[in-house]
Amino acid sequence: METFNNSKPVLVLLLLPCLLLYSLISFNSSSVEAAMHTNNWAVLVCTSRFWFNYRHMANTLSLYRTVKRLGIPDERIILMLADDMACNTRNKYPAQVFNNENHRLNLYGDNVEVDYRGYEVTVENFLRVLTGRHETAVPRSKRLLSDEGSHILLYMTGHGGDEFLKFQDSEELQSHDLADAVKQMKEKHRFKELLIMVDTCQAATLFNQLQSPGVLAIGSSMKGENSYSHHLDSDVGVSVVDRFTYYTLAFFERLNIYDNASLSSLFSSYNPSWLMSTAYYRKDLYKRNLEEVPVTNFFGSVMETIHTDAAYKALSRRNSGRFEAQMSLDSVHHAERRTLMKVNDQEETHDVNPEGNKQPLQGEEGASKCPWSTFCNKFRKGENVDSLVNYGLVTMIPLLVIPTWLVR
Amino acid sequence: MEKLKKKIGSISFWKWVIASVIFRLILIYFPQNLNLSSRPEVSTPLTSFRRLAEGYWLKQSSMSPYAGSMYHGSPLLLLLLGPLTVKRIEGQPNHILYSLVSVIADLVSAMLIRATGQNLQLAYLRTLGSLDLVKQIEGSEIHPSGDVAALIYLCNPFTIVACVGLSTSPIENMAVILCLYGACSRLIPLAAFGWVIATHLSLYPAILIIPVIFLLGRGPDAPPWKLFLQRHQQNGMLNQSKLPPGFSWGPIIRFAFWSLVWSVYVLVLCGISLKQFGGLWEMFKSTYGFILTVEDLSPNIGVLWYFFAEVFEFFRSFFLIVFHVNILFMILPLAIRLHHRPCYLAFVYVAIFSMLKSYPSVGDSALYLGLLGWFVNEFSDMQFSLFLFCGYVGVSLLSPVMHNLWIWRGTGNANFYFATAMVYACLQIVLVVEGVSAMLNHERKLRRLITGKTQDSKSGLLSDSSP
Repeated sequence: METFNNSKPVLVLLLLPCLLLYSLISFNSSSVEAAMHTNNWAVLVCTSRFWFNYRHMANTLSLYRTVKRLGIPDERIILMLADDMACNTRNKYPAQVFNNENHRLNLYGDNVEVDYRGYEVTVENFLRVLTGRHETAVPRSKRLLSDEGSHILLYMTGHGGDEFLKFQDSEELQSHDLADAVKQMKEKHRFKELLIMVDTCQAATLFNQLQSPGVLAIGSSMKGENSYSHHLDSDVGVSVVDRFTYYTLAFFERLNIYDNASLSSLFSSYNPSWLMSTAYYRKDLYKRNLEEVPVTNFFGSVMETIHTDAAYKALSRRNSGRFEAQMSLDSVHHAERRTLMKVNDQEETHDVNPEGNKQPLQGEEGASKCPWSTFCNKFRKGENVDSLVNYGLVTMIPLLVIPTWLVR
Repeated sequence: MEKLKKKIGSISFWKWVIASVIFRLILIYFPQNLNLSSRPEVSTPLTSFRRLAEGYWLKQSSMSPYAGSMYHGSPLLLLLLGPLTVKRIEGQPNHILYSLVSVIADLVSAMLIRATGQNLQLAYLRTLGSLDLVKQIEGSEIHPSGDVAALIYLCNPFTIVACVGLSTSPIENMAVILCLYGACSRLIPLAAFGWVIATHLSLYPAILIIPVIFLLGRGPDAPPWKLFLQRHQQNGMLNQSKLPPGFSWGPIIRFAFWSLVWSVYVLVLCGISLKQFGGLWEMFKSTYGFILTVEDLSPNIGVLWYFFAEVFEFFRSFFLIVFHVNILFMILPLAIRLHHRPCYLAFVYVAIFSMLKSYPSVGDSALYLGLLGWFVNEFSDMQFSLFLFCGYVGVSLLSPVMHNLWIWRGTGNANFYFATAMVYACLQIVLVVEGVSAMLNHERKLRRLITGKTQDSKSGLLSDSSP
């Protein structure tokens, strides 16, 4: 007891710097809030199994096609399909999935990249994708590699109910789980803005527990309402699309990659009498005005391409890409078109601009002309690393041969 | 007569060498290398060619080559062999350049084995001369152990399969053989280089430092010191000049210096090339850490994967320690018993770690089967040799069958495949045990010869019956 009393002031003294440190860190992190929107991701999940749930697969594939058409590449789409309708033995049109009875559009062309298929679509894998907590051997194509500048579209479809979504007919994702995953994502800065779109029965209940800022959610029906399928394809034998997704697609088919349609126009395009349910959206957590947010912020990905003649050297992310992106945005300014500079932080840095439009790199501008410092700069930039190691390997040979020959 | 026999022997040796190289080249031209690179016996997570290609691609995309837990080798291998994985030549099979590198590595290893074997045989004859036993030996058949070992290494189906199956085993084996060659020929920088590279590529050759120290300190294999003392004491005088030299520390210190130089060099190079991806710690975690913690449990011809697939998490570290100490605790007793025969000690160590390593493959057993050839004269009356030979043939035929039954047809299960792996391990154990006992029998025979000689017994000829 005495030692405890004696050690109390010591403990307090130890706590003070910890508190200081914590406040500094939180201050720092709060100043990082103003991140720029740099990339778009899409996580499209179909949770239903069995042939009669064909329409859920068609929903997800339609949205996949839309999102790809509007610019998001396969590397930034995580497609999770719980069953294989295209090659199902009951499919009269093998390897083809339609979302309309006119069969005009084959959704399952030769450019579909499914990341999680069949029994891999589980609640555990879904939550792992969202939070990024994978085992070491999970390949990169199955990970959501977003960062603090990402806008993520999360689309889920299947069978659901009051505060749950059914996975594979054997387990459930609850609204608490989803809210917890989103909270983790927010704390780990895995998204800047998140749009959750759910097409199930009583979908709006699934995001009752969400509290993280920057999240926008829209569900196809409210509590107590069912979401219905749109029409039955008598040739295929099952319903091929749901109403909510059908009208979403009707909205998007009118758009192309450069259109300026806003989210509020998307949300107001849902007619309750056509949907036979009320499409409810939750915007209390989303600070921006929906009239100003273009749909391609989530559903598409508009990139600016800079043409360069010199060899493009990919560097790993060391400098903050945001900083460079700001500089480039200033230097290449388009007034008419709403363009989004895409700088993928994780892989590439715009390093080469032969016309002298060079980004000043972190204050190395005024480097001295001393060869050692330029060598150090180059070394730090990591350009000549490989050639240096190659030289090292080559000099290994004479270093081996000469002493051996001398000793002989 | 002797010279003619030797000349014929060397011509037929070169004929066999050329024949095996041509055979490898023919097999390389088969479509897709006969799918050997997908066999679990040939390519393990450490030696797989596909993983090397993946690591190289990741490196080229400015990501850490160890991302995704695919590649677990040295970054220097990536720099050397990586570009070969992507280079394609019109009209030739896909990985012709890499296959040629493996063939050249095999050839170099065979030449080094031959040189070391000749070295060993010369040393053996010299010791016999100093023991005044030359007359007894001249009558009986002595095979040129260097040639035999080199031919065993080159024509061994395991080596051919490892070479054609595009694994990195030929290069790892070459490093080990380089180390032993350097140590036998007293070329200290070469021995240090071989040892450092072999340890860097796969962790286990580190235990070869003990035979290398003995080789450098005392010289190649020789009968025990006691025999020499017995021999010359019985003559009534102690002829110093005929005794083998004692243990000298000078070469060892030079070896330590050179291995330090090479390890610093290799580590600096690796550190530079991995600077952006986490540095040396990341490399150690992904290479040595992966080997020691047995993260990947895909089936191979060893016994660890089956065991660790069913061990409880709570006991996993305990059993990891047990399996690795299994190799370590055999080092000391063998070193004590066989310290006068360092090359043989190296052979036994290689056999032990090829058997008990985390991810064994047939390329590893190709190494010790080749080194076995150095001791054909001592092993001439080894027990169970036919049984072992048939066992190896049987296991290498049955193991792919069981794998097919398990994975592709689904009519078998993991126990089928594991059974062949267990039989394989048993065969290797029997080989090691019988090998050691054959060597000890040989020494007993020598001792009997010496004591028999001084008693002026007329049964001085080498008898072939073992006691």
